Amino acid sequence: MKIASLIVAVLAAALWAQDPEAAIQAYRQYLEAHPDSVEARSNLGAALARAGRYEEAIAEYDRALAESPGNPALLLNLGLAYYKTSRPSEAAARFERAISLAPQFKDQVTLLLASCYNGLGRYNEAIALLAPLEKEKSADEAFDYLYGTALIGDGQNSSGAAVIDRILGRGDSAEARLLRGTLKLGTHDYDGALVDIEKSIALNDKLPGAHARLGELLLAKGESEGARAAFAQELALDPDEFASNLNMGVLAKQDQEYTEARRYFERALKARPNDAGVRYQIANVDLATGNPDAARRTLEALIGESPDFAEAHATLATVYYRLDRRADGDRERGIAQKLMDRQDAAQAGDKPR
Amino acid sequence: MRRRLALGWWLVVGGWWLVFGGQAPEPRRPHFTDIAPKSNFAYRTDNNFTGRKYFPQTMCGGVAAFDFDNDGRMDLFFTNGAKLPEMQKTDPRFYNCLLRNRGDGTFEDVTAHAGLLGKDLGFSFGVAAGDYDNDGFEDLFICNAGRNALYHNNGNGTFTDVTERSGIGGKPKDVISVAAAWFDYDNDGKLDLIVSNYTVWTPQTDKICAANGREYYCHPKVYTNVAHRLYHNLGNGRFEDVTDSSGFGKELGKGMGIAIADFNGDGYTDVFVANDTVRNFLFINQKNGTFKESGYEWGVAYDESGNAGSSMGADAKDYDNDGWPDLFYNNLKGQIWGLYRNMGGKYMNYVSGVSHLSRLSVRSSGWSNGFVDYNNDGWKDLYSANGEIDNMGEISRQSDTMFENVDGKEFRDVSGLLGADFTHAGFQRGSAFVDLNNDGFEDLVVTSLDEKPRILLNSADNGNHWLLVNTVGRRSNRDGIGAALKLTTASGRTLYNHVTTSDGFMSSSDKRVHFGLGGEEGIASLEIRWPSGIVQTLKKVRADQILTVREPPR
Repeated sequence: MKIASLIVAVLAAALWAQDPEAAIQAYRQYLEAHPDSVEARSNLGAALARAGRYEEAIAEYDRALAESPGNPALLLNLGLAYYKTSRPSEAAARFERAISLAPQFKDQVTLLLASCYNGLGRYNEAIALLAPLEKEKSADEAFDYLYGTALIGDGQNSSGAAVIDRILGRGDSAEARLLRGTLKLGTHDYDGALVDIEKSIALNDKLPGAHARLGELLLAKGESEGARAAFAQELALDPDEFASNLNMGVLAKQDQEYTEARRYFERALKARPNDAGVRYQIANVDLATGNPDAARRTLEALIGESPDFAEAHATLATVYYRLDRRADGDRERGIAQKLMDRQDAAQAGDKPR
Repeated sequence: MRRRLALGWWLVVGGWWLVFGGQAPEPRRPHFTDIAPKSNFAYRTDNNFTGRKYFPQTMCGGVAAFDFDNDGRMDLFFTNGAKLPEMQKTDPRFYNCLLRNRGDGTFEDVTAHAGLLGKDLGFSFGVAAGDYDNDGFEDLFICNAGRNALYHNNGNGTFTDVTERSGIGGKPKDVISVAAAWFDYDNDGKLDLIVSNYTVWTPQTDKICAANGREYYCHPKVYTNVAHRLYHNLGNGRFEDVTDSSGFGKELGKGMGIAIADFNGDGYTDVFVANDTVRNFLFINQKNGTFKESGYEWGVAYDESGNAGSSMGADAKDYDNDGWPDLFYNNLKGQIWGLYRNMGGKYMNYVSGVSHLSRLSVRSSGWSNGFVDYNNDGWKDLYSANGEIDNMGEISRQSDTMFENVDGKEFRDVSGLLGADFTHAGFQRGSAFVDLNNDGFEDLVVTSLDEKPRILLNSADNGNHWLLVNTVGRRSNRDGIGAALKLTTASGRTLYNHVTTSDGFMSSSDKRVHFGLGGEEGIASLEIRWPSGIVQTLKKVRADQILTVREPPR
């Protein structure tokens, strides 16, 4: 076993840096003879990742983890591969597990994990990770960007604005402009948001999320054609970007292009596997395409998970009526109405229409 | 030799068509011209905007097209706002307005003589025309912040306010009523009235909403929902408020436009109410004096994503000529206007996407609206009077839209082809469809905040044929409201419509039933199913005429 490890180490040293493809070949040959070598398989995964072959890397890490469950280094690498393939849900799960097994890794993965949480819309969890580090990392631009994104996403606008000011204090940047544009979008200052988001794109037209925010802004302004173009640009940069897939799906659904809509929604689910909003949209597609029973299953699951999901109750009422389940329809209608009345009462309504 | 040359020329022409893809030429379209400037009247839609933004100011300028003096020419009535916060028509600029159609393209202001100034009313919104006492003269109901008003047409060019003695004026304190529709829900031959209520409001309880030091009209959610009200016509000029016993009282909304139609084909008229930011209501007539709110069952309560939009105007007509009334409501910019296809009287399918309405409508904020066959091709098109709620941005002033129906399947935007007067940008609100010069082509009357109304005359010059049917009920209500008409052309094409004056928002249209016939001059039959249940069939009807049809005794 020691000899095997030595060979793996030699292979790594000889080939890793200069030629990952050659390293991949070497590790594969070695693994033919030593299929149980966790170290070689882990290194093969790393070499594949280094070559940008993330799906193969994920497969090798998974095989290695089967041999060595609970290996925190493997979990970290696997999480990183998922992160690189825009699957924040899978990445976050591996990072969380790695930290629970080896807390010393926490510093290494905090920003990555916070980025995953932001991508998943779990802003409060990102804030919980990042807030304790604010003083220590207040000069770190990446930290500020993640923290600002989380704060604004969580609706903590004044704290978010302070972070934006801190970033802008170091000079204009695409990230700061995108954050400020997002903040303005959330407060319905569409003209102001447009200036900032367009500037963000001018500074860095590959900044993740910038085209998606522009699309959301244009949608809010009723400019759906421009929104479509913006979402398409975001998806050209990252085909799995959540907001763009969700919104393109909604736009396709509005056009009753249900096959296309479903394709976008399913892609959005790749980024956020259990997202209730996306699953609700898919249920609506099922209802519209004459499959009320599939819609029923999804909606029943959704309200099981989120009993206060008013729209799901409302649509489920219609589904039950279509299925001639009148009593169930009446019940769901009653629940939907109560929930919506409660929402109306809670909504201040203090915004322009 | 001449024949051969002629044949050769024909072949060349045929080849030219093939080269360019054989596309059919664009149909000749009528256009609209505003004839209001030819008349001398003072009316402007005046919501008394002076800087302070009172909630109801966004809704002003109801329109009714009706023949008040039975001279065969449709006249016009407009509602108006009031001084705020006094909520009184303190000045003639706030008076309502009755314009008599002189028949020469001009109108005469006869409001004062008719007794319709409304000096004692508050802020007026919608108006509904209908002959509630079956005396042969069209009466008016006016919706207000403050008391509602029923005006009885005396038959001599004057009206009398009969609100108090009719019993129709009752409503909960401070409820504002915005639209109304006459219909006979129990088929007893007397017109009943449904009133769409919005909320409880007074100038004193008006809420102020502002951001960055700038006031805007508050979101409707800051105001409470209320019940719409149903008034049963008892005869002898008396009405009973049956809101609670009929089932209307159970549902609270923010009512806007009302569309009436027999959606399930059972011979009893149903009621759709578009609600602003609240789910829409579809009250299905249970044939026993009660209604069941069935928006969920019919799939029209919410849009396809389960959202309640800002539903505004509403109309129910058969746009695809399959014999079932469909549904069209509009809403605000960024939302999708709703077009629903009636699936055999059982439920509605949302078709805004496949009909292209979703893409066509997303940039417009619609108010009054409706199905109208403006070009007499036999397919009902979609009209909407547009304008933003508030003057907050550079595109707040908007143009009206006409989406032309293509074979009952989809719509295309032809607004820009209908003339400069049609595309006038403003804060359009009320609208009525009416044939003002009895040429068989539908004209449009549109109000716009702080402007004179436009009276848009259809050029009627595409050569298409038509029929206007003026129904006169005997056992049924005299207007024939609720009568369902089926027209079969000589070629076998079938067209459907029904009698109603209610469409859009705050407005009341020409009660005569309009059919565009395209290029066909022959009508094989016209079948009328009266609210009484009597079915009347007329054979070989001549096109291009206004046909008065009286309900037979049996």
